[in-house]
Amino acid sequence: MRKFIPITVPCAAFEEEAKRLKIPKTRLKVLMTIVEKAKAELFNQDGTPRLTAEPGKSRKRASAD
Amino acid sequence: MPLPIDQIDQKAVFLNIPYDQEFSSLYVAYIVGLYQLDLVPHLAAEIPGGDRRLDRVFKLIKQCRYSIHDLSRVEVSVAPTATPRFNMPLELGMTITWQILKPRQHTWFVWESEPYRLLRSASDLNGTDPYIHDGTVEGVLRELRNAFPRDNAPTLQRMLQAHHVVQSNLDVVLTNAGTRNLYSASVFKALCWFAFALAEMDRISKKVSAIRK
Repeated sequence: MRKFIPITVPCAAFEEEAKRLKIPKTRLKVLMTIVEKAKAELFNQDGTPRLTAEPGKSRKRASAD
Repeated sequence: MPLPIDQIDQKAVFLNIPYDQEFSSLYVAYIVGLYQLDLVPHLAAEIPGGDRRLDRVFKLIKQCRYSIHDLSRVEVSVAPTATPRFNMPLELGMTITWQILKPRQHTWFVWESEPYRLLRSASDLNGTDPYIHDGTVEGVLRELRNAFPRDNAPTLQRMLQAHHVVQSNLDVVLTNAGTRNLYSASVFKALCWFAFALAEMDRISKKVSAIRK
């Protein structure tokens, strides 16, 4: 099994951009949560990009029949 | 007073776009797309008040290396009395003047929704090739890739995915900012951060994949 890529939320770059944009910490916390959820939608377990046929729709499993 | 070259943000893109509800998904597309291409969008609304709005807009244009002027919604308003929307052409005019005075400091682009409309609305721009986005998110992202070609640019499909994620979380972003105004400074900044985070995760993923190989 491939090792999980260390994409962590939060990371230093995220904090830095939040500082540049002057986003208050309380608001940033909520944004971090949605980014964490987005990570699961956009990346596979091993950290490689998850590609879907149509954005917003997960890949269909092959039919058994 | 012209700015020294080092005070111009080489990644900054001034967005001259309509602030209306119908434009919201394209607005999100500009923000997401620019971050995906390692650029940073700027909006007049993000600058705190104080000075006259026009002064603030011009100051921001001068600080940005690029500007995008989306004229697709330059039309007469429906509400009485029908009034043409002049803000976007006005800001484009200011930018063109600035670029003529300082040609190496600024590059501007015109965006439209359909071919040849620009020739009807602003025939003086004849000879300028507008980027035609067809009024779609995909069109905006596609044309951003054409305007800012990058060797390491994500695929259009990937950009659409990132847009979908941001668009589907708009409600949370608005609630978190405590406003329903998508074009307010707080929402714009939150969208910027969100788009940055998604683009940054892609960059990290690419770097790690390259190391593995």
